[in-house]
Amino acid sequence: MLSRVAESLFWMSRYFERAENTARFLDVNFNLMLDLNSITSVDHPNYWSPLIMVMSDHGDFRAHYDEYNANNVTDYLVFNRQNSSSIISSIGMARENARSIIESISSEMWEQINNLYHYLQSVTPQQVHNDPYSFYKEIKNASHLFQGITDNTFSRSEGWDFVQIGKYLERADNSARLIDVKYQMLMPKRGQHLDLVKNSVDIIQWMAVLKSCSALEAFRKVYLSKIDPDNILRFLILDRAFPRSITFSICAAQEALWRISGSTTHRYVNNVDRLIGKMDAELSYTTVDDIHMRGVHGFLEEIQDGVIKVGEQLHLLYFAYHTPKIEPLDATEGLAFTGVAGGRANWSQSQQQQQQQ
Amino acid sequence: MTRLFENYDAGADRFFDEVISKEAAPRAHYDKMMRRFAQLSVEDVRARKHLVNLFFRNQGITFTVYGVEEGIERIFPFDLIPRIIPAPEWDMIERGLIQRITALNEFLSDIYHDQKILKDKVVPADLVLGSKHFRREFVGVRPPLGVYIHVTGSDLIRNTDGRYLVLEDNLRTPSGVSYMLQNRQAMKRAFPVLFERYKVRPVDGYPQQLLRTLQEISPTQKNDPKVVVLTPGIYNSAYFEHSFLAQQMGIQLTEGRDLVVNNNKVYTRTTRGLQRVDVIYRRVDDDFLDPLVFRPDSKLGVAGLVNAYRKGNVALANAIGTGVADDKVIYSFVPEIIKYYLGEDPILNNVETWLASNPKHLKYILQNLDKLVVKAANESGGYGMLVGPHATQEEREKFAELIVANPRNYIAQPTISLSRHPSFMGDAEIAPCHIDLRPYVLYGKSPSIVPGGLTRVALKRGSLVVNSSQGGGSKDTWVIDI
Repeated sequence: MLSRVAESLFWMSRYFERAENTARFLDVNFNLMLDLNSITSVDHPNYWSPLIMVMSDHGDFRAHYDEYNANNVTDYLVFNRQNSSSIISSIGMARENARSIIESISSEMWEQINNLYHYLQSVTPQQVHNDPYSFYKEIKNASHLFQGITDNTFSRSEGWDFVQIGKYLERADNSARLIDVKYQMLMPKRGQHLDLVKNSVDIIQWMAVLKSCSALEAFRKVYLSKIDPDNILRFLILDRAFPRSITFSICAAQEALWRISGSTTHRYVNNVDRLIGKMDAELSYTTVDDIHMRGVHGFLEEIQDGVIKVGEQLHLLYFAYHTPKIEPLDATEGLAFTGVAGGRANWSQSQQQQQQQ
Repeated sequence: MTRLFENYDAGADRFFDEVISKEAAPRAHYDKMMRRFAQLSVEDVRARKHLVNLFFRNQGITFTVYGVEEGIERIFPFDLIPRIIPAPEWDMIERGLIQRITALNEFLSDIYHDQKILKDKVVPADLVLGSKHFRREFVGVRPPLGVYIHVTGSDLIRNTDGRYLVLEDNLRTPSGVSYMLQNRQAMKRAFPVLFERYKVRPVDGYPQQLLRTLQEISPTQKNDPKVVVLTPGIYNSAYFEHSFLAQQMGIQLTEGRDLVVNNNKVYTRTTRGLQRVDVIYRRVDDDFLDPLVFRPDSKLGVAGLVNAYRKGNVALANAIGTGVADDKVIYSFVPEIIKYYLGEDPILNNVETWLASNPKHLKYILQNLDKLVVKAANESGGYGMLVGPHATQEEREKFAELIVANPRNYIAQPTISLSRHPSFMGDAEIAPCHIDLRPYVLYGKSPSIVPGGLTRVALKRGSLVVNSSQGGGSKDTWVIDI
C-alpha cells in the first residue's frame, strides 16, 4: 500500500473519531445543563470552559470569544473553521483525506463522509441551538455508520488496520483528556478519602462523564448503581471489554499494528510495536490504587504522551515520504523494520537518492 | 400542464437540430425518445434531474473551477435528454477518427525521428520545431510499440448541414471520459425503460480497455506489469476522473511524491518499501513531469522520471512531446498529414482555419475579428480565446494587439453554428442548446474507440462555449443499432 494512502486512511479515521468525540462532549454537556438548570444558569462558565480544556486550548478560544457560554463554546467547537478541532474542521479534514484516496476506499465509505460533509454545510447555528440533541445524534450516528460501512465494505487488509489505528489512538487520547479534566473538576480536595460521592450534583456530573462515553449502561451492568469515582476510573481506563475504555482502545490499536507488521506477544519487530506493547502491558497490570499512587493527572498525561509517541513512530515507519530516519528511541532496544524482506534496504536507497539532489 | 416540447423552437432554418428535421418532424432515431418525453411534465423532469444531481453530489462527481475562490467544487451539470447517434453515422465517425489518429501518430514518430514530412515541405519546419510543445530532448527516442498517443479525445462538431467536422485534437491529457461513464449510470437510473427500448451500445468496457492498452505498452516482459495513474493531486480540476479511472481499473492512484526513481527505474513508496512501476498513465503535463528536465519548480513531478523513460525502463501514456501535434497551428495541416502518410482523403474534415503567422491570413483575421473565433495555439478548456461576434469592441482591440505581437501563437476560425439539441435549460424549459462530441480513442497495439463519448452542451442561452470551466454541461451519448 502506498505510504500516502496509509497515512490518509489513518487521518481520515482519526478526524472522524475526533468529530464524534467532540459531538459527544457537547451533547452530554447540554443534557447536564438541563439537569442542573435549577441550581445554576445554563450559561455558567464553569460548565463550558472545561470543554475547551478537553478539546482545544483557552488561548485560541479567547482570541475569538469573550466569555464561556453555551453559544460561544458551541460555535467554537462546532462551526469555527479556524479551530482545527471543531466538528466542521474535523469532518472537512476527514473528507479531504478521503478525497485524496477516493479510489482506495469503498464508494460507500466515501458517500458517507461526503453526506455528512454536505449536511454540516447546510446546518445553521440556530438549528443546533434549537435542537442540540438531534444534531449531535446525527454526528454520532454518522460516525457509527461510517465505521459500520468500513467494517462491511472495506477489505480486511493493511488499509483497514490503519483505519483502526487512527480510530483507537484518537479515542484513547480523547478519553484520557476527558477523564483528566472531569476528575480535576470533581475531586476538589487532595488526599480526601474517595468513598461514595454523596453530593448529588457530583453524581449527576459523573453520570454525564459516563454518558459522554456511552458508558453509563455498560457501567451499571458491572458496578450496578455505585457511581463511585474509583469505579468510574476503573471502568473508563482499565476495562478490557468496553470499547471506549482506554485499555480497550490501546489494545485494539496494538492488534491492528501487529497485523500489519507480524509482531506477536513479547516479539516486537519495530519501534511502534514496542511502544504500543509497553502501553498495553502497563495498562493491563495497573490497578486503580496504582493510578492513585502515581496521581490521576500524571497517569492520564502519560497516556496522552504515549499516544503522541506512537503516532510519531508510526509516521516514521510507515508514512514518511522522504528519507525516513527510523531511529530507535533507545539504541539497545530498537529493532530494524523487517516486516517484509528488503523493506528497510529499499527505504535507505531512496534516502540516498533524495540526498543527491 | 404544459407539454415539454410544446414551445420548442428548433430554428431549423438557421441551425442543424439533432432531433427535429427541417420538415419539423423528429428524426426516426429520436422517435421513441420523443414519445417518452411527451408523457412527462416539467415537474417530472425536474424531479428526475434532482435525483441525478444528488447521485452525482453524493459520489463526489465534481470538477474544480480555477480562478474562483469560493465553492471550488462543482457538479458538472448533466442534461437528462440523451444524444442519439445511429450506427451508420457512428461507423463513419469511428473510421474517420481512427484514420486521423493513425496519421497523427505517424506524424509524431516522423518528426521525432527522420523528419521526412518537414524535408518534403508538407508542413513548414519552423512551425513544428518552433512549437511550444516540441520536445527536442526526445528526438530519436522510440516509445514502446512506436505509439505516442495512447489516449486521445478529439472534439467533433456538426455544421449547419449536419456534417461532422473536427474542431480540435486533444493529444496530451484529454479529460471527460469519466463523465461519459457516469452519465450512462445516471441515465440508466433516471430512464431505465427508455434505455431498454433502445439498443444502446455499452461504454462500460472503457476502463478495462484502457488498462489493456496500458499493459500493452509495458516495456518490461512481465505477465502482470504494474500500471499506475499519476495525478497532479486533489486540487486538479480533473481529480475526480483520475481517481475514478484508477478505481475502475483497480490500480494505484499516485502523486509525484509517491514515486521515486532509483538507478533509472521507477518505484512507488509503500508501507513495505519500494515497488517497481512499469507503466504510468500520467495526467500531469509534460512541463511538470520531471523537475530535472522541465520546470525545476515543479512539485508535481518525479525527479529522474524522464531519464528512466528514455532508458526504456518505464512507459508513459501519453508519450512526452505529443502536444506538438495538437497545437492549433499544426491542426490546420492535419488533412495534408493524413494524405502524406496514408495516401487517403480525410474522412472527417477540419474547420476552415486561418493562421496569423501567414501574412495574408493575418490581414484577413484582423479585418474580420467580429466574425471569427480566435484561439491561442496552445491553450485549452476555453481559456485564451475570443468569440468575435459576442465580444465588445474593446475586447477585440485588445486581442488584435495580442495577435500582432505574437502571430505564431494565434489561429482564427469562422464562428460555426454548432448543431443544437433539445436540453432542459434553467430547470424550466426544453430549449435548443449547442453541442459538440468528444469520443475517446485508445491506441495500444491498434487504435479502438468505445461507442459513444462525451457530448458537451452549452447550457447558457445562445452560448457557443461548451467547456465545463465556462458553464457547459454534458449529456449521455447513445450509439444505437437500428
